[in-house]
Amino acid sequence: MRNKLSGFAVPYVIWMALMVVIPILIMVVYAFTTAEFEGTLENFSEMGVYASVFVRSFRLALIATLVCLLIGYPVSCWMAREGPGFQRVAMALIMLPMWMNFLLRTYSWMSILENNGLLNQLFRAVGLLDLLGVDYIPMIGTSGAVVLGMVYNYLPFMILPIYSVIVKLDHSLLEAARDLGADSARVFRRVILPLSLPGVLSGVTMVFVPSVSTFAISRLLGGGTQLMLGDLIEQQFLGGAYDPHLGAAISMVMMVIVVVCMVVMNHFGEGEEQAVML
Amino acid sequence: MKRNSRLGSRLCIGLMFLFLYAPILLLIIFSFNAGDSSAVWKGFSLHWYGQLFRNRLIMESVYTTLLVSLLATAIATVAGTFAAIGLYSLGRRRREALLTVNNIPMMNADIVTGVSLCLFFVAFFQGWGTFARWFNSVQSAVELPDRLVLGFGTLLLAHVTFNIPYVILNVAPKLRQMDRNLMDAAQDLGCTWMQAFWKVMLPEIKPGIVSGALIAFTMSIDDFIISYFTAGSASSTLAMTIYGMTKKRVTPEVNAISTLLFLSVLVLLVLSNVKEVRQEARERLGAARKLTALERARQKFAEPQYLWARRGLAGALACVFIVSVGFLSYATGSRPVVNVCSWGEYIDEELITQFEEATGIRVNYQTAESNEALYSLLKSGGADYDVIVPSDYMIGRLIAEDMLEPLDYGQIPNFSLIDDRFKNLSYDPENRYTVPYTWGTLGIIYNTAVVEEEITSWRALYDDKYAGNVLLINNSRDAIGEALFCLGYSVNTTDEAEIREAFALVADANRRGIFQGRVMDEIFLKMEGGNAAIATYYAGDYLSMVDNQAEGVDLAFVIPEEGSNWFVDAMCMLKDAPHQREAHMWINFIASTEANLANMDYIWYASPNREALERYPAYYEELYGEELDPEVYEIMAAPPETLERCEAYRNLPTETLNLYKNLWTHLGAD
Repeated sequence: MRNKLSGFAVPYVIWMALMVVIPILIMVVYAFTTAEFEGTLENFSEMGVYASVFVRSFRLALIATLVCLLIGYPVSCWMAREGPGFQRVAMALIMLPMWMNFLLRTYSWMSILENNGLLNQLFRAVGLLDLLGVDYIPMIGTSGAVVLGMVYNYLPFMILPIYSVIVKLDHSLLEAARDLGADSARVFRRVILPLSLPGVLSGVTMVFVPSVSTFAISRLLGGGTQLMLGDLIEQQFLGGAYDPHLGAAISMVMMVIVVVCMVVMNHFGEGEEQAVML
Repeated sequence: MKRNSRLGSRLCIGLMFLFLYAPILLLIIFSFNAGDSSAVWKGFSLHWYGQLFRNRLIMESVYTTLLVSLLATAIATVAGTFAAIGLYSLGRRRREALLTVNNIPMMNADIVTGVSLCLFFVAFFQGWGTFARWFNSVQSAVELPDRLVLGFGTLLLAHVTFNIPYVILNVAPKLRQMDRNLMDAAQDLGCTWMQAFWKVMLPEIKPGIVSGALIAFTMSIDDFIISYFTAGSASSTLAMTIYGMTKKRVTPEVNAISTLLFLSVLVLLVLSNVKEVRQEARERLGAARKLTALERARQKFAEPQYLWARRGLAGALACVFIVSVGFLSYATGSRPVVNVCSWGEYIDEELITQFEEATGIRVNYQTAESNEALYSLLKSGGADYDVIVPSDYMIGRLIAEDMLEPLDYGQIPNFSLIDDRFKNLSYDPENRYTVPYTWGTLGIIYNTAVVEEEITSWRALYDDKYAGNVLLINNSRDAIGEALFCLGYSVNTTDEAEIREAFALVADANRRGIFQGRVMDEIFLKMEGGNAAIATYYAGDYLSMVDNQAEGVDLAFVIPEEGSNWFVDAMCMLKDAPHQREAHMWINFIASTEANLANMDYIWYASPNREALERYPAYYEELYGEELDPEVYEIMAAPPETLERCEAYRNLPTETLNLYKNLWTHLGAD
């Protein structure tokens, strides 16, 4: 029976080879060739110019991930303490925006953050702008707006895995810790935190990876004057500076860095159950 | 004390929900706005909902999204389930190796997956084209299509590919939990393998399959980046359409569509939650006696309501499928089509309807952001256009790279109506490829309510005084061209030092934070709403902005003293375009005097049609009962003395083009 069943894996293996492995290999080939498909390392030697883009992308994504964690972790803990009805409704409310397209959510921030947008109109109406003696507070087109967009869009991806781990925590463990004389801080540090680590790791991954590679959010909220990695790559393929070879090289470097980050991070959580999806 | 802390935490949770929902609520509120702003309330109206259902682009992309998500989910669920069963029966080592590969699409950033799939498809298409041409030449029994492009097929393949891993990840744990002996027991008791699979294994792993399918569907619906790189121009998902819309003058149609989406998801969620609550109640009752998996499965199958639900679901899926196939065959069927790619806000859409009614040809009208973006799209094999409307210098480049098809002017009698001064221009000296569409000038647009001085020079774009209030035009040729004008060089210079100096001017201003953003058609809303003070764009678009400017905004247009660019945009046909007859009909229709008048009135760009250009002031007077302001006409159709100060862009040699490309990539990368 076993052998018969393993036949089911064959079409899947072929599919994955064709649609996952080969495309990545082709990307690697592009990265190491010129437009005439002659071997070159030029695409990588140019990479130094874009070092600041890498730094900026990773910095902003890291900030966004940290903010998400700082908001998401306590919220998950608090939610897990509530009754089942509250939890159900709260979970539904957290999932709900995820079903709306993230571009729509980002777009709504545009009209809020514009120089003449809703927030500045509000500030004007309450006299804050006169108080500061400015015509408007610049918000759109700044790195802050980009981080805000990331936090807004990816916060649910942080809360869901953390919550699903915390809600399943064995309460007898907490009681045991307390019985053995640990105070709340100690219970949190020595029991809750380590046990919720897989959720945190999975949440961090799910926020960090899309943040570091986004181009829509930086384009809509950041104005595109300060490039991020996603913008840079998009520009080489469908944007204003066609060069798929350079684009492939940047994608490859980004992929390698992200994978290294993941491996290092998952090393922390070694021995824990596999990362929790949703 | 305890109560208090709970109150505090609830308050925090509430604040988080406020943060999550305030923007969505605003979107919803402004979908009912009578005006077209998303910041100023002008009264209640359902106008935009009506508009939404008349907007073919949006409705078609909703359809594409649903179709691709449903099909991809169905395929991925079946394939993923069997793959998981297969994987589960492999040895540990091999299984883990495969699971690592399985994780690649999930761990990878979407953009890497999208880019690699895009490159793969294009490489495959090229290989296929060579093979098909060879195959067609050695035999004549079967004719293989030798020209494949990105489209619905590639979109579906990409979605299936990134969906399968989610299904596997959800099914695998259920398989691990299942008692391995169950299947053997069922088969020992006389079931065939198939029966055992249906009656024993499937009910056991069903929760995993369902949640896997749900996640796959969610991912498909929500995906933007992978679709963006793999769908090409022919099919566009809702996310792609929305992204395209946010890059143009956004109308509250976007708000209307988001409200409808939000409400439908809300209803679905409420329904599923109610069902879950009921199920849980039932389970609590049923938990009194522990059932074996076999018994539970049999019992469930026996429940009549379960059967109905199953049939209903199957029926619904079948309906969706039939409707899909029907629509697909209708859409791609025998009706003649012409695929046109132009710029945003660049046609009176009434003309499309007129053409479709007169000829029965369906027009797929799409827009690109800039000449350079269009070029990327054409090069990456994602474009399936017949007619494009690039600007002069880009036409020169496309001709030089043999990407255009010569036109048959015998099929375009209206070409004779084009003014002679727009024929045989340097980009197409023998006029074999092009029929001019519009012409105009580039200039500075500024809000006199904010900028107190009169702007006369390009220098204003790089002035610290206006930091954060200037919009940089988002294409290399115009942006660097403006700096070249500012420095007094020719825009067609091939001198590397001059170009570098011009670029440094732009890059330096960018570093100092002068530019609020890099924009193309986003400029409309930004300038009309007073969200930026200075921008550079085209004369016709300035007039259309003046028409729509908000209260307190007073826009002005100037062609700076250092001179500026004048351009011709012309219709051309792509090499090997599949619908050449229809393309000629479209070009001829658009070149007619009536179409040119309608377009001039709608987009405010000057027409190259001699009669239309001369007749426009009279046409305007007849239409609106008032005289056309001569100043407006002068901005629209620049008089010879203005044109003398202007220089047209020409196609540049490859090295210079590469320099432009490299410099442009560096902008903002520091």
